[in-house]
Amino acid sequence: MWIKRILTLLPLLTILFLIQSYFWIPTYEEQTRGNKQRLEEFISGSTGDASILNPILSADSASAEIESKVFEGLIDRDENLNFRGRIAKKWKIYEEIYILPKKDEDIEEIKSIVSNMKSVTSFDVTQEKGKEISINHNGKKINVKIYPNKKIKIVMNKVVPEFFAILKNRSKKDFCSFVDYKKYISVSEKNININELGKKVLPVCEENPVILFYLRHNVLFHDGVKLTAKDVKFTYEAIMDPKNLSPRISDFEPVKKVEVIDPYTVKITYKRLYSPALSAWSIGILPEHLLNKDALKKEAKSRGMDPDKFTIRDSSFNRHPIGSGPFKFKKWKSGEYIILERFEQYWEGPPNYKKYIFRIIPDKLTEEMEFLSGTLDIYSPQPHEVERFQNNDKFQVFSGTSFGYTYIGYNLRRDIFKDVRVRRALSMAIDVDKIIKYVLYNQGERITGPFVKQTPYYNKNVKPIPYDPEGALCLLQEAGWKKRKDGWLYKNGKKLQFTLITNSGNEIRRAILAIVQDAWKKIGVDVSTDVVEWSVFIQERINKLDFDAVILGWVMSIEPDLFQIWHSSQTNPYQLNFIGFKNKKADELIEKIRMEYDKAKQIEYCHKLHQLIADQCPYTFLFVRKWTVALDSRIVIMEKDEYGNRIYKKITPTKTGDFSYYFNKWIKLPKRIYFEN
Amino acid sequence: MLEFILRNLVQKSITLFFISVISFLIIYLAPGKPSQIDPMNPKFTPELLKRFQEHFHLDKPLYVQYYLFYKDLITGKSVSWQDNTPVLKKIWERFLNSFPLFLIGTILTWTISFPIGIKSAISRGSVFDKTTTFFAYTLISIPGFFFAYVIIIFVVNYLHVPVIGMKTFGIQSQSQLHLIMDRIWHLVIPSFLSASGGVAILSRYVRNQMLEVQDADYIRTARAKGLSEDEVIYKHALKNALLPFITMFGLVIPGLIGGSVIIESIFSWPGIGLMAYQAILARDYPVILTLNFISAILVLVGTFLSDLLYMIVDPRIKI
Repeated sequence: MWIKRILTLLPLLTILFLIQSYFWIPTYEEQTRGNKQRLEEFISGSTGDASILNPILSADSASAEIESKVFEGLIDRDENLNFRGRIAKKWKIYEEIYILPKKDEDIEEIKSIVSNMKSVTSFDVTQEKGKEISINHNGKKINVKIYPNKKIKIVMNKVVPEFFAILKNRSKKDFCSFVDYKKYISVSEKNININELGKKVLPVCEENPVILFYLRHNVLFHDGVKLTAKDVKFTYEAIMDPKNLSPRISDFEPVKKVEVIDPYTVKITYKRLYSPALSAWSIGILPEHLLNKDALKKEAKSRGMDPDKFTIRDSSFNRHPIGSGPFKFKKWKSGEYIILERFEQYWEGPPNYKKYIFRIIPDKLTEEMEFLSGTLDIYSPQPHEVERFQNNDKFQVFSGTSFGYTYIGYNLRRDIFKDVRVRRALSMAIDVDKIIKYVLYNQGERITGPFVKQTPYYNKNVKPIPYDPEGALCLLQEAGWKKRKDGWLYKNGKKLQFTLITNSGNEIRRAILAIVQDAWKKIGVDVSTDVVEWSVFIQERINKLDFDAVILGWVMSIEPDLFQIWHSSQTNPYQLNFIGFKNKKADELIEKIRMEYDKAKQIEYCHKLHQLIADQCPYTFLFVRKWTVALDSRIVIMEKDEYGNRIYKKITPTKTGDFSYYFNKWIKLPKRIYFEN
Repeated sequence: MLEFILRNLVQKSITLFFISVISFLIIYLAPGKPSQIDPMNPKFTPELLKRFQEHFHLDKPLYVQYYLFYKDLITGKSVSWQDNTPVLKKIWERFLNSFPLFLIGTILTWTISFPIGIKSAISRGSVFDKTTTFFAYTLISIPGFFFAYVIIIFVVNYLHVPVIGMKTFGIQSQSQLHLIMDRIWHLVIPSFLSASGGVAILSRYVRNQMLEVQDADYIRTARAKGLSEDEVIYKHALKNALLPFITMFGLVIPGLIGGSVIIESIFSWPGIGLMAYQAILARDYPVILTLNFISAILVLVGTFLSDLLYMIVDPRIKI
């Protein structure tokens, strides 16, 4: 019966045909042996796809990873997290100071004081011509007439944040005090506070830090065009152009102007003293010739779109980026992979790897399996897997501490948390070491303050609060909380009672929630807990300051600017100092840190601030997590000596734990080589 | 006939309209915001947020948004918020990836289920019948992703070959045949997994159908005529037992676009299911709604086709 035969044979043959394909597939070892190309490819994985490959527009980590290879900034950080020149070979930071003298005698007086200062390089008095400008004042556009005036310009060879303090001190006069602007400006409109306007258009005293970047002469974009100062200026303008909706706009807000001095020199002038601004120049430089107005217009026309509404955001550049980094963009298949190829004319010499492939693998276990079968070169094991990878000879394992930390924050507006003894006692009652051991599988370290642990800003002398539940009880008693028969603590008839919340979707925070609740209950604090969905958590609870205590984390940048999170001016709803930490000394230090350009002084202030915040216990600082990365052991550093011989070195992490610092020198070998220690 | 088709078309378009409204509302009621305008992203100031919302029309009243969205969809202009590529192009690319998986999965499901179902119906109560029943219920009750993980771990750790994705990464230099076989190997496990559930259900269904027709009068007549057992079963019984399956084929069509979210994300198979999942996570409304709309259309077309097929195949049904 033929139907019967077909019915049985068809599935059997299909299955057999499918299964025989197994014998064609290379195993882990064969993948590199029979296939030389594979050794020159580096394949990494990510759970999410990139969104937009343009350094001034993207805001996600997957895009950032690709951009770091395709684009390059003027500077980046070296092994010790100091700045290192990339497109810029060197730079100079100095300061320009402008003073509007009230009387002619003032000029002479300032001159005599300034002439004694070592850091002053020039002193000029300029006669400014009168002019008319139009500015936006309180939402209205108005024309302001500025009369001719004299201006003092002082140039210093370094930034001196205390310049005006010195000036005031030596002259016993305040040159920056209020002036009567009626003498300097006029407006046609009425009902305008002329002094308020004057401060804006013609400030009496101005301190403008300046960075002069000297660019390398041999930097090319991937299309062969030379990178020059105008590309730097263009990148800045593209970020500031409101049409482009750049999320990086706040990083460049302190910049007053960017000037092209010559094709390889750019002068950046800042509005005010703000030292963290330098790090913003690690942003990838865009090619002006591909994205300027004419280029955009042309593209809009060829795609049949309205040229007036067409912005960089709409350009196809964002899916086929051209930068000046070590790898050039080749192909992007959404949700699958992005392929980069090495750029042979990279100014520092091309990388060893020919290709950099970025695969999108949404599932963590899948990623691990791909790594184990050799089709990924790098994998970050989850905390519970770390030991397994460390004990496997096939892999080399690196680990370090991350830039973020987890903490418990107390809403200092609540009466119970106003007493520092209560906050300290609550911190003492938690056994953080045990949390690290059992919740994080030891993949974490204690932290005592708000700075990134591997930077010099972090004060290593601050000791973590010890686990001491009895001591905690004593402290609470000192603060007036007495234990009653029912086991809870009371003060003036009120129970020590509050709610601890965190966001859903983070298993670690959830575990901490339960542990902390239990630890506090043991010393007689009645805590109830709640896990809230992320958007509700942020919008309804944190932004509206509607919480008692909260478990959360911060991801820090290397720059030690704590203004947004710790300054007392940032305690309103929707701001980041939502716990309401207000401390005059801390404010002063925070302001000093962001105005200081001298790293040694900055470190000193940071250590003080770290100690101060640790003493005040507004947070219980819990831990920084450790990351671990496993690489195929066959990947090594390859360099060439002067005769062209290959020298292999073991990959070693830098002091700050960055193992991929020498990525451009990496290569995969067909067979593992063993290095002597 | 024509009247039936016309009436059906009108009914289905009304249904489609309601589906479009409801799916639009559900998405907007769901918590969370599109990732690009996520207010939690610290790089976004309130002004930027406002501008983003204007750009994507999110500040307009809902009915205007509804109108603008479906206007863009029907004129083929809607773009994904994630990467600004046209939605339809994106879906088409992904469809081409999902299709082989769907095809092999469907072939496996339908070719395996029939012999198993028929065999267990004929030898009802035998060891074979009992074993297949056992395995069928096991497969139905154990979730697919669990099987997937067990099989992946086994293959990677003991056979040392890659199984994830559409092909092994980095074997471009080998011969053409190698590349084809590599692609097929990567199809094997996901398609077996996506077929396993279907086989379990469908083989049960075939078995029941066969049992039902076996007692029918025409089977007894066939046997009385002295036909061989094979002839009775494969010609007379099977033909009649097949009737309901012909209509089921119409319902397979929506699977074309639905893909398999779970299988595709476990195997990081760049298909439609995975794209839908990622779009939902990123709140990429145009992609979600377009997929929703297309699959609604396919469901309606599928039911329409099965109605038609039934009419053609089974003369007992008349309008």
